[in-house]
Amino acid sequence: MRILLVEDDIEAASYLVKGLNEIGHAVDHADDGESGLSYAKTNAYDAMVIDRMMPRKDGLSMIEDLRRGGDNTPVLILSALDDVDERVTGLRAGGDDYLTKPYSLNELHARLQALSRRAQPENAVTTLRVADLTLDLLKHKVTRAGININLQPREFRLLEYLMRHTGQVVTRSMLLENVWDYHFDPQTNVIDVQISRLRSKIDKDFEQPLLHTVRGAGYKLVEG
Amino acid sequence: MNIRLFSTTAFRLTIVYAALFSLFSAVTLGFIYWSLRDEIESQVDARLRLETDFLVNLYTSGALNELLDAIQQRNRVDTYGRFYFLESEGSEITDSTEQEWPLRIKSVRTHSTKPMAEVVDLPADSPRANLPVRVAQTQFSDGLKLTIGHETSDEKALLDYTFTLVMGATVITLLFALAGGIVMSASVLRRIASVDKTAGEIMNGAMSRRIPVTDRRDEFDAIAVKINQMLTRIEDLMESMQQVTNNVAHDLRSPLTRLRNRLEVTLLENRSDDEYRDTIESSIGEADGMIQTFNAMLSIARLEAGLDKTEWQHVAIGDLAAELAELYSAVAEDAGLVFVENIETNPVFYGNRHLLAQAITNLLDNAVKYTTEGGRVGIHVSGNDKHFDITVTDNGPGIPREERERVLQRFVRLENERKSPGNGLGLSLVQAVVRMHGAELRLADNRPGLIVSLDFHGRAIDAVAA
Repeated sequence: MRILLVEDDIEAASYLVKGLNEIGHAVDHADDGESGLSYAKTNAYDAMVIDRMMPRKDGLSMIEDLRRGGDNTPVLILSALDDVDERVTGLRAGGDDYLTKPYSLNELHARLQALSRRAQPENAVTTLRVADLTLDLLKHKVTRAGININLQPREFRLLEYLMRHTGQVVTRSMLLENVWDYHFDPQTNVIDVQISRLRSKIDKDFEQPLLHTVRGAGYKLVEG
Repeated sequence: MNIRLFSTTAFRLTIVYAALFSLFSAVTLGFIYWSLRDEIESQVDARLRLETDFLVNLYTSGALNELLDAIQQRNRVDTYGRFYFLESEGSEITDSTEQEWPLRIKSVRTHSTKPMAEVVDLPADSPRANLPVRVAQTQFSDGLKLTIGHETSDEKALLDYTFTLVMGATVITLLFALAGGIVMSASVLRRIASVDKTAGEIMNGAMSRRIPVTDRRDEFDAIAVKINQMLTRIEDLMESMQQVTNNVAHDLRSPLTRLRNRLEVTLLENRSDDEYRDTIESSIGEADGMIQTFNAMLSIARLEAGLDKTEWQHVAIGDLAAELAELYSAVAEDAGLVFVENIETNPVFYGNRHLLAQAITNLLDNAVKYTTEGGRVGIHVSGNDKHFDITVTDNGPGIPREERERVLQRFVRLENERKSPGNGLGLSLVQAVVRMHGAELRLADNRPGLIVSLDFHGRAIDAVAA
């Protein structure tokens, strides 16, 4: 992916650039909203990571300018303000996701992956398929290798989210936010327990496991 | 700060008020003056009419000579105040040659007041030239014209005196209004100055100072009471922020020290890659823990300040509890606990869904964490929209009665939970969420274990506003 990072903290930015480079992304770094905008105008990016609070032009007004100019590149907002209200403000300004500092590189990367996928036009799919696992959105039916699998409504949504992000790492907080709409992390490993239940339903009786745990990051649904 | 009287709003209002008041009194006095003038004129006219009627009667009875005699006699006797004049077709009949007065009449309009010089010919230096004269003229049928003049200097003097009185009264009114205004604005300014003084002291750091409130209960007192309440609120917020700062200093220092020591010790000798990796991983874990503590403290401070009110909505409490029960029943089951879900009702409550969810999550986290295998953990919702309870129960060690107040404070952890992970902020956060929703948190004994009830009453928004 080609990523634009707009962040005024030079040291934080250099770690981030290094980290994203090592994962295999090309990163341009701008240190304020003004130069961020001019980068965005002259280059095409797969995703942007924009710090909320910056000198000269802050992140939110930069995003508003971008959107007004018709640029729909997915934007991940980075912010030191951790608050549901702040999150809502950020998303209303045109951001696509919101990550509170401090964050882990894994979390940032997983969210960028999810964002760039979302940016691709999503045809009106009614059936999701990963290997021999099929999820029918209309009939609310899940089968693997032709065998019916009974899922609770919430498990169904969990699996749908994982299948929509096949091949990508999905973190626990992404699942909490997108499947449960909780913007906080419980102390208990509630997500792990839900995943292991789901795994016992879709993987247990089959030779090839599809749902994998990525250590220190989250989960990943992969084909074979 | 020195408030200068003449530049104050109070004084400007005083000026405007005094001017208006003086204007009104001048109009009233002016009305009296004009009425008096009219009355005097009509009295003079009545006298003139009386004289005219008498002389006309003489004439109509056919005695022209008697009329002439009467006129001449009157002229002779009454030289000072009145003069009489009879003429026929422009030529004078009255014999006025033997006397100096009246000389010759000029053209006059009947029932008008003019200076003497305009009515009759006078020697140029006559002292009477400017005396006012009221004139009545009567036309007889055969071309005779009778003119009677009445000098009104006494009346004019009375009117002039009245006019002076009116002007004087207006000026005195203006002065009194001004003086009264200054006294009143000074008393208003004194009260403003006391607010000003207090504000100055507060700005200089005396946060506990308050504006004096009198027992007059007037609008100044009303404002003073409001400002004092505001100051108390600000002081509370500042204290709470101060407490957070102290907590940060105190409770983040130990993990930071641990982190630093671990990194230092690792650097002391050459170690294997695996050892470095372990150190780095545990350092990340330590950092994450600190971040969580930090976030929790900020959340609590913000909740206690009661500043977040925008994301409020109607929340179906039963649905929310069921959702969380679904998550935690799985966790409980895995931990070998019995999970009891007893959601009797689904009250709708106006509040912040995220915070309510987080509060219930914290309670369930604790319940699952402190209950050992075989124990029971439960969530219970009962009541109606007006008044409902959310109760979380467990079979853990419980909290001794004497500790129940204390555990709600920040960073308080009981002796027997020292070894389990946690930052001592879970219940404080629940407490803050519950308070901002106008609800109450109660701790009770589950024999064995703990019962935490959250009692909600009616619309939270009212409770918070109160």
